[in-house]
Amino acid sequence: MNKFYTLLFILLGFLAYTPSSVAQEHLLIQGQVLDQENGAGIAGVSIYVKENAKSGSVITGSTGGFSIRAHSGQTLVLKHLSYTTNSIKIKSGAEKVTLYLVKENNILAEAMVTGALGIQRSAREVGASAQIVDNESLNAGKVVNPLLALSSKVAGLRINASDLTTGKTDPGVQVRLRGSRSLNRAKNDPIYVVDGFPVPDIARLNPNDIASITVLKGSNAAALYGSEGVNGALMITTKKGQRGVGEISVSNTTNFSRVFFLPPAQNRFGQGANGVYSPIISDSWGPAFDGTQKDFGPTINGFQPQALYAATKKDNRLQTFDTGVTSQSDISFSGGDDNGTYYMSVQDVRIKGIIPGDKSARTGARFNGTRKFNKLNTSYNVNYIHFNNNTTSDGPWPSVYDQPANIDYNSHRNWSDPSSPSHPLNWYNTSKKNPFFLADNTRNTAKQHTLNAKVELDYAFTDWFKAIYRVGMFNEQTESRVTVGKLASSIGARNVNGSVNDGQDNFTRLNNDFILSFNKDFGRFNTRLLLGQNIRMDDRKSIGIGANNLLFENIFNPGSRAGELNGAATLTKYRSLGTYGELTVGYNNYLFLTLTGRQDQVSVLSKNNRSYFYPGVSTSFVFTDAIPALKNSSILSFGKVYASFNRTGNVTLDPYRLNLTYTQTGGFPFGNLVGFTPGLTNPNALIEPEFVTSYETGFQLGLFNNRLHVDMAYAYSDSKGQIFEAVTSSATGFNKSIVNAGRLTNSIVELALQGAVVKNNNWNVDLGLNFSYTNNQVKELYTGNEFNIFRQQYAIVGEAYPTLKMKDFKRDDLGRIVVDKNGNISESADETVLGTMVPPYLFGFNTRVGYKGFQISAQFDARIGSWMYSEVVPRMYASGTHPETVKYNREEFILPNSVVENADGSFSENTSIMSKGDKAWWTAYGKIQTVTAAKADYLKLRELQISYTLPASLLGKQGVIKRATFGLVGNNLFIVTNKNNTIGDPEALYNGTDGYSSWRQIPSTRSFGFTANLTF
Amino acid sequence: MKNYSIKLALLGLFTWTATSCSNFLEVNVNPNAPVGENLTLASKLPAALVATATQEATQLNQLGAFWSGYWGTSSEGLNAFYNEKIYSGQGIRDVRDGIPIWENSYNYLLYYKLMLDQSEQEGALFYAGISKIMMAWHFLQLVDIYNNVPYEEALLGSAVNRPKYEDGKAVYEKSINLITAGIQQINAATVAPKQDDIIFAGNKKLWSKFGNTIKLRALLRQSEQASQAAYIRTEIDKIVKEGSGFLSSSESALVQPGYLNTTGKLNPFYENFYRNSGGATVVNYTNIRPTNYVVEKLKGLSDPRLEALYVAVNGSYKGVDFGDPTVSTASNASNTSAFKGPLENGNKPAGLLKSSSQAAVLLSSFESLFLQAEAAQRGWIAGTATKYYADAISESFKYIMNENYNTAAYLQQKEVSLAEAPAPIARIIEQKWLALNSINSIQAWADYRRLGLPTIPNSLSAPNPTARPQRLMYPETENSTNREQVIAQGSDDILRTKVWWMK
Repeated sequence: MNKFYTLLFILLGFLAYTPSSVAQEHLLIQGQVLDQENGAGIAGVSIYVKENAKSGSVITGSTGGFSIRAHSGQTLVLKHLSYTTNSIKIKSGAEKVTLYLVKENNILAEAMVTGALGIQRSAREVGASAQIVDNESLNAGKVVNPLLALSSKVAGLRINASDLTTGKTDPGVQVRLRGSRSLNRAKNDPIYVVDGFPVPDIARLNPNDIASITVLKGSNAAALYGSEGVNGALMITTKKGQRGVGEISVSNTTNFSRVFFLPPAQNRFGQGANGVYSPIISDSWGPAFDGTQKDFGPTINGFQPQALYAATKKDNRLQTFDTGVTSQSDISFSGGDDNGTYYMSVQDVRIKGIIPGDKSARTGARFNGTRKFNKLNTSYNVNYIHFNNNTTSDGPWPSVYDQPANIDYNSHRNWSDPSSPSHPLNWYNTSKKNPFFLADNTRNTAKQHTLNAKVELDYAFTDWFKAIYRVGMFNEQTESRVTVGKLASSIGARNVNGSVNDGQDNFTRLNNDFILSFNKDFGRFNTRLLLGQNIRMDDRKSIGIGANNLLFENIFNPGSRAGELNGAATLTKYRSLGTYGELTVGYNNYLFLTLTGRQDQVSVLSKNNRSYFYPGVSTSFVFTDAIPALKNSSILSFGKVYASFNRTGNVTLDPYRLNLTYTQTGGFPFGNLVGFTPGLTNPNALIEPEFVTSYETGFQLGLFNNRLHVDMAYAYSDSKGQIFEAVTSSATGFNKSIVNAGRLTNSIVELALQGAVVKNNNWNVDLGLNFSYTNNQVKELYTGNEFNIFRQQYAIVGEAYPTLKMKDFKRDDLGRIVVDKNGNISESADETVLGTMVPPYLFGFNTRVGYKGFQISAQFDARIGSWMYSEVVPRMYASGTHPETVKYNREEFILPNSVVENADGSFSENTSIMSKGDKAWWTAYGKIQTVTAAKADYLKLRELQISYTLPASLLGKQGVIKRATFGLVGNNLFIVTNKNNTIGDPEALYNGTDGYSSWRQIPSTRSFGFTANLTF
Repeated sequence: MKNYSIKLALLGLFTWTATSCSNFLEVNVNPNAPVGENLTLASKLPAALVATATQEATQLNQLGAFWSGYWGTSSEGLNAFYNEKIYSGQGIRDVRDGIPIWENSYNYLLYYKLMLDQSEQEGALFYAGISKIMMAWHFLQLVDIYNNVPYEEALLGSAVNRPKYEDGKAVYEKSINLITAGIQQINAATVAPKQDDIIFAGNKKLWSKFGNTIKLRALLRQSEQASQAAYIRTEIDKIVKEGSGFLSSSESALVQPGYLNTTGKLNPFYENFYRNSGGATVVNYTNIRPTNYVVEKLKGLSDPRLEALYVAVNGSYKGVDFGDPTVSTASNASNTSAFKGPLENGNKPAGLLKSSSQAAVLLSSFESLFLQAEAAQRGWIAGTATKYYADAISESFKYIMNENYNTAAYLQQKEVSLAEAPAPIARIIEQKWLALNSINSIQAWADYRRLGLPTIPNSLSAPNPTARPQRLMYPETENSTNREQVIAQGSDDILRTKVWWMK
C-alpha cells in the first residue's frame, strides 16, 4: 500500500510544483484513474481540461483508463459521483499518468445525473429528487435481475418480487416509485430508459453491464419522457470502453438457495375423515398417528400397498423442493483508441430451480462502441439476450400443503413404474396428485430472443448548438410451449388430457428522437434549450395454436390430435408522436430554473382527444454557493433547496379499446355457422387523457466536509379522471366499464442519509439509511365508494389503495366471537376494513465496512404498516393440515373467549356450549377471512457480501492479473415478521398484486454463494 | 463536402420525421375483431342461443339437480359442491368460488338486448321477437333465483350505472308482456332467420308455441298466490286468443349448433358431466352420483328409464345421500351408479348421454306437456289432464329410451295412473320431476319451492334438518357496485327469504 501513497504524493507534488513557465506543449495524455484505497480502476470518472472546459470531457472506462488531449501547464479536473473531485496540473511530457481519487459517497455538489433523454446534467441544477445507484452498490448481492438488485437501495422505490421468492426461475417484479398513481393496477410501472432508449422491460439486462442507474422519482423528473414517465423513470447507463489499454474482466458467482418460511403444518393426525383412517383420502382428518403399517391407496393388480402411518421425521413438504443453484459467469473486454472505444461483455446465467425439474439459462452479449468523425460523434449499442426457461406450470406445491404429514414424498420421487403406489394411476388419492408427477407431466418452456440496438449521432454545428439524432430498436421474440402428458384412466379424476399449446410472440419497438440543443452563456446567466421530437412505434404479433386432445402420450404436436385445432393471432399497433422542449436558465451556477413542456399525440384515443399538452417547472438553489457567509463552512459543505410543479398527461388505454368488438365464443364457429358475442367490458369512445398534478420540494445537504449527506423530499401527487376499467353492476349488461373517473393522491416524505463514519488509510465504515412514508388515498371512484380490485383487495374512498377488506367473525360489542347453540361460529354481516395492503413505511439500511482489502457490506430492509392475507390458510383448515386444527386434539371444545346470544339480543359468556372441532367446523373457521390475514411488517437482511481484494502489491510483479477479488454473498438471510404472520414472506407477491399470498404461491427462498472476479 | 453531406442527412431525417405523420396515428382500427355494426343478426343469434342453452344444461341444471333431489356425490366428491351441500349463501354469491348466475344471465341478456336494438333499427321483426322471448326467459330465471332484480334500468351500459331493482312480481309481469310482444313481432315478420335459428330454423309457429309455453310456466309458478288468480286468467285468455298453443309432442326447444367432438364444442352437458373430447371421463363423472331417493323412486315404479339413465353396479342400482358428510366405502364411485353414456351402452345412445353432438335441451316437449297437464288439472286450459299427462310421460320415455316406448303398462300402475291419484297435482309433479331429472333440473327446484313436491330428503349437511334453500343471495359484485339497491331489498337470506311466488 505504502508504495502507492508514495507514488501518489510524488505525483501530486511533482505536478503541483512544476514551474508554470515551461513552454506549452501539446500532449495526448493516456492514463488510468485508480481508487486510492484499493488501487482499483474507477469507471465513469469525468475528466476535462479546466482551461478549456467547453471542449468537453472524457469518461474513464471500466478499469479507469482514459485519454485526453491537453497542453502542459493546464489542469485536469477529475470528477466522479463517489469520489472527491481532484485537480491535477499537467507537467511537461507526462503522457502516461496514473491518477488517484479518494472515495466519498454521493458528493452532491458535483454529481452528474442522467436526466431526461439520457442527457447528463449537473445534479445541482435538478429541481427534483434523483438518486443514483452505481454499479458496485447494484451488484453487491450479485442478483441476476437488476430490478431486484435495486430493492431497498432507493428512498421511495419499492420493489417486490413475486417469482424470485416463489422460487421460479424467471422472476416477476413489481416496481413502484412513490406509490401508485393509477387505479389501473397494471399501469403503475415506471419507465425504463437504457442509454436514452425507452424499453419495455429491463429484467433480462446484465447488471454487470450497468454503470449506474439514476432513479428519477415522480412525474416531474420524467416529464420529458412523455406519459410513461408519469410514474418516474429508471435511467440506466451502460458501461463504455475507455481509451487506452484494453482490459479483460472475468467473474463467476454461484448461489445455492433453499425454501424457507413455509406456513406451519400439524404433524399429529393423518389421512382419513371424521377420525377414521382411509387409505384413499387426502384430508388430514383421520386418526392420530400410531406408527403402524396401514393400507395405502387402492389395490394394484390385487395387491394392497401399505405404508407407515406416522409423520415423516422432518417436514415432509420440504422433500418436494430441491436446492436451487444459480451460476453466473461474466466476461468483459474493453478498450479503445483516440477516435473510438468499445465495451463488450458476455454473461451466462444458469438457474436450477427449487422445484424439481425447473431450470433456466440466460446468455447475453453486449457491444457498446463510440466513434468520432470530426464534429460528428457516433455511438452504438447492441445487446442480444437469449433466454431459455423450462418450468412446471403453477408448481406442485399447491397440491402438497393440503396432503397429510404421513406421505413420505421421497419414496414417491420415481413415479414411472406403473405397478408402484407412486404412479399417478395408483396414487392414493384421485384428486390430489403425486407432486413429482405433476412437475414432470406439465412443462412450460419458453425461448426468448431479445435484441436491443441503438445508434446515436451527435453533431456539433458550433460550440453552442448541436443536433442529436437517436434511433433505437427493441425486438423480443418469444416462442413458448406448454405440454401436458396424456394419462388415461377409467377413473375420471385421474384422467389427464394430453395437450400442447404453442405460442409465438413478436414485439418490436422503434423509437426515434431528434433533439436540438442550444447552450449559451449571457454574462452570469447560463442557458440551455432543448427542442425535440419523438416518434414511437410499437408492433406486436402473437400467435397461439394448440390441441387439447392429443392421441399419444409422448408426441406433443397438434397434428397428433383428435378434434379441431384451436388457435388465434393478435396484432397490435401503437403509435405516438411527441414534441417537447426544455429551457434551463442558471444564474451564477447556484440558482436554476427549468421549464418543460410536451405535446403528445397517441394513436389509441379518438381524433378529438388524442392530442394533449403538459407543462412543468422546477427550480433549484445552491445556497451554500450563493451566500458568502456559508462558503467554506466546515460543517455545511453543500446545501441545495429545490421545488417543482408538474401536470403530466397520461394515456393508460391499450389499443383498440374505443369500440365494442365482437368475438366468436362458445365453441363457434361450428362449421359454417358463425356466432359472435360482444365483449363484456363497456368501451368508451370519449376517453380522454388523465392528468397527474404533482408538487415536490426538498433539500440536499453535505455536512462535515461532505462526510454526511442528507437528502430530504416532500412530494405530493394528485391523479384525476383516471382511465381504468371500473367494475360495474352486471345488471348494466357489462361487467366492467372503461371510464375517466376516480382520483388518487399521494403524500410522500423521503429521507436519505449517507455517511462515511470512519475513513482512514486502512479503515472505512459507511452507513446509509433511506426512509419513505407514503400516504396514499383514494379520493373518488366511479360508482359507489368502493370497488373490488382482486380477491379481497379493494379501492375504498378515504382509504389507501389497495385496502384489505374481509369478513370477520360475528362478534359481540366486546369483540368476543359469537357461537350458536351448536357451537358454530358465523361470519359477520359486513366486511371489516383491516388496512392498506402496501406498506406506507419503507426503510432501507446499508452498511459497508472495509479494512484494507476486506469488505463487508450488508443491506437491510424493513417495511411496516400494511396487511396481507393468504389463500393457503383456508385450504389448510379445510384439509386439516393447519396446526390450529389439532389445538383441541380433534375433540369437542369450548371456544375460548366466545359468547352466546341470549333471547333478548344480549350476549353472555359461553361456558358450556361445545364446538365440534370436526372438518366442517374448522372449514367454516378457515373461511372466516380475517383468520387468513396478518400484519405484513418485516425486517430482513436482504444482502450480505464479504469480499477480499488481493492487495495490488501481491499482484504487482506478475503483470497478468491486474485485480482479483473473492467473496461470499447471501440473500434473504434472515427475516423478522409480525408474530401472527404464519403465512410467509410478506414481500412475496402473487402476480403483481399487493399483500396477497395466492394458493399457488411457492415459499420464499434464501440463498448463499460465492463469487470471484479477476481483471486482466 | 463530407460535412455538408452529414448536415444534409440530418436535415433530411428531420424533415422526414416532421412530415410523414399525417396517417401515422391512424392505426387504432382493431385488426383482430369486428365491431357490432359490421355483423349481421344472423351471425350473432347462434352464439346467444348457445350461451343460454349452456347455462341451462350446466350451471342451472347442476344447482337444480343438487337441490331437487337428483344428485349427490360419491366419497371421492366429499369435498366437492360444498357450498351447495351446506346451503352457503355467502359461498355461492362469492365472486370467485361462487356460482355467477346473476352475472352470466345479465351478460346474456345484453347479447339479446343489443340484437333487439339492431333488429329494431333494421326492421328485422323476427329477430326482435326472438330477442324479446329470450330476454324474458332470462328475466324469469333471475326472478326465480333472486326475486327482485333490475329490469327497466338494466342493460343500459354506462347510461345507468346503478340499475334500480324492481319487484319480482313486476318483472314477471313485464317479462310475460315481453313474450306477448315478441310473438306478435314474429307473427308479423316477413323474413325469417334460416340456419342461424338453431332452435326452430325460422319456424314462426314453433317460436310462438315456445313463447306461450314459457308464459304458461311463469303463470303456473304463481299458482300458490291466490291474489294472482284473476291475472292468470287474463293471461291464459291472451294465450288462447293468440292461438298457436303450446309445445306439444315432438316439439322440444332444442339447441343444436352442430356440436362436435372438439374441446369447447361438445354438447355442454356431455362435456361437463361425462367425457371430454379425448373420451376421458371428467372429474364430475366420478364425483356425481344419483341420490338413493331418485334411484328408489324409479325402482319403486319399475321405471325402465332407470336402466337407461344409470350404470348398474354388480347388477343393481345404487345411489348416495346428498350432503352425506361421512366417508364410507359403499359410497365410493366404484360402488355406486354413474350416469350411463354411450360407452357404457355398447356405443348406443343412453338416457341422458347420447353422444357428444347431442342437442341441448332448452325446454322439452315433456315439460311443456306436464305444464299443460297441471294447467288442465287446475282448470286453466282446455283439454284433459290425463291426456297431457300420458303424452308427457310418453315423450319423456321417448327421449330417455331413444325409441317410441309403449308406456301403456307403465301408466296403468296404481302409483303412476293420474286417474287413481289421491292428489293429482302431486302425481303430475312427481312424474314431471322424474322427467326433468338432470335435464332441466332448475325447474324441478322451482316446483319444490312452489309446492314442496316431491318430498325430497334434505341435505345431510344442512345447517339444520328443516333448513332449505329458498333463493340465492345477491352476488358480491352487486353488493360492491350497486350496494344501495341491494340493501333496499332487505334480507336476501338463502334459507329464510322467499321469492315472491312462494307460499
